[in-house]
Amino acid sequence: MTTKAEPLTLRKYFYNIYYAVSTCLKGMGITFKYIIAKKPVTIEYPEVREVVPEKARMRLYNDVLNCIACNQCATACPVDCIYISSINRPKDLETPKTEDGTAKRKILTQYTIDTALCCYCGLCTTVCPTECLTHSHDYEFAQYTVTEMKYNYMDDDIIAWRDRIVKTR
Amino acid sequence: MQTWDLGIEELKEKNSGENNLKTELLTVNMGPQHPATHGVLRVEIKTDSEVVAKAIPHLGYLHRCMEKHSENLDYRGVIPFVDRLDYLASMSQEYSYVAAVEKMLGTEVPRRAQLLRMLILELQRIASHLMAFGTYALDLGAFSPFLYAFDEREKILRFFEEISGARLLYNYIWIGGVWNDITDKHVETLKEFLDNFEKELVKYDNLVSGNKIFLERVINVGNLSLEDAISYGATGPVLRGSGYAWDLRKVDPYLCYNEVEFDVPVATGERGSVVGDCYSRYIVRMKEMEESVKICRQVLDKLEDGPVMGKVSKVIKPAKGEVFVRTECPRGELGVHLVSDGTKKPYRVKIKSPCFTHVSILPHFAPGQMIADFVASIGSIDIVLGEVDR
Repeated sequence: MTTKAEPLTLRKYFYNIYYAVSTCLKGMGITFKYIIAKKPVTIEYPEVREVVPEKARMRLYNDVLNCIACNQCATACPVDCIYISSINRPKDLETPKTEDGTAKRKILTQYTIDTALCCYCGLCTTVCPTECLTHSHDYEFAQYTVTEMKYNYMDDDIIAWRDRIVKTR
Repeated sequence: MQTWDLGIEELKEKNSGENNLKTELLTVNMGPQHPATHGVLRVEIKTDSEVVAKAIPHLGYLHRCMEKHSENLDYRGVIPFVDRLDYLASMSQEYSYVAAVEKMLGTEVPRRAQLLRMLILELQRIASHLMAFGTYALDLGAFSPFLYAFDEREKILRFFEEISGARLLYNYIWIGGVWNDITDKHVETLKEFLDNFEKELVKYDNLVSGNKIFLERVINVGNLSLEDAISYGATGPVLRGSGYAWDLRKVDPYLCYNEVEFDVPVATGERGSVVGDCYSRYIVRMKEMEESVKICRQVLDKLEDGPVMGKVSKVIKPAKGEVFVRTECPRGELGVHLVSDGTKKPYRVKIKSPCFTHVSILPHFAPGQMIADFVASIGSIDIVLGEVDR
């Protein structure tokens, strides 16, 4: 949008120069203050780590020992990244209980979460009746292939995470 | 008079005639990967040397079928998807959708949850406008304001992370209330932040808003008259920048906005600017942040103990019908049109996004502008492509 500029008087010319220089100096002053007074906010990452908040939603962890295979998390998941299969427990077997006393009526045979699909919305953890599915504080789980992002929580090496990352209840 | 002072018609006239070379317009694609288009917007511009003759925005590079996908999800499952519309102001988008579902169900939201929502929405507005301010300065070649703005924005994001667990896509506002309550410690930190933030705003004003170089770049550039703004359907800071005090928080109050005192900032043409230019839209955003600080303070004083979740049944099944809800998001009016057929899943989720409307103004800005001024015009309407394409 080009419009005709107002006529430039000598007074206005010098005022413009004064205004430009003074405002630029003002801005430079602020930047200068930052150089001297501001402490660096950058963190040297692998050595120094930020403490993540308590409610932070990172990689999901399912404690299969307490899971009752109710399928509620898979239903709540908006991206369908939780795969559960289970079989009914035969009647002649004794029904074990979880830590909070819920009866495990089904035998969990598979509990897999595709972490690459997961959108970390937290809907699955809120519906979990035994609170075995939680968001851990692990955020470093890059892999070379996408298939490695699929975790089967029945695996022994993943069950072993339990001691490391399960939040204290 | 230099070549760049001429309009496109004058240029053609100058270049026509027997002795001159034959010229034609050059087509340049600005984007989709271009730092000045704020995402994946492709603007096909026809240029005559440095002057833009015509600009055609092309959309669809971030289209994720969100509206269609919502039809296969239950009402709660849509919230994480609504987050991804305007990823710089997720809370505002969440609230718009949740308000539509609540209107459909007739849910009563507890007072504490309503106040918390207001607090969150205003903080989100500050965070979003800080981003707009930072990137606008970045578009015009100033790098440090961007870093200073992010410093403050980080504090808000940290607060959101502490209450919801995520930094960008929160899923915090739920149907019937909010997910988590805030503690007294959070209130203290917020009060401290708000006190500090007012000083920061003065700093931004000295650093950028009053700077002569900045003013020369934005004043009388990208003019949008009030008639044009209304006929293009502009809302939010773009409409207020054209001089019309239209704010849904005042005009059609939702939540508890009728209980708090705040002004609706309108461009008045200070510092030699013309109402409706880039500077007006920019300064409206800066003033809105001040108003948001005021609202946040009042809300923090009003906070009273109580539940943060209302009574909502486990399976959400609204009766047959449709609702339309509009709210004032940082970028303008966001409308949600929800149709229910009485099942667990929404029949239709239609989002009317302000950014989509604002993109249509770009061809209006273009004719006769320099390319650098066109970049300033794009930055001043502050679009987020996630919301344009959905």
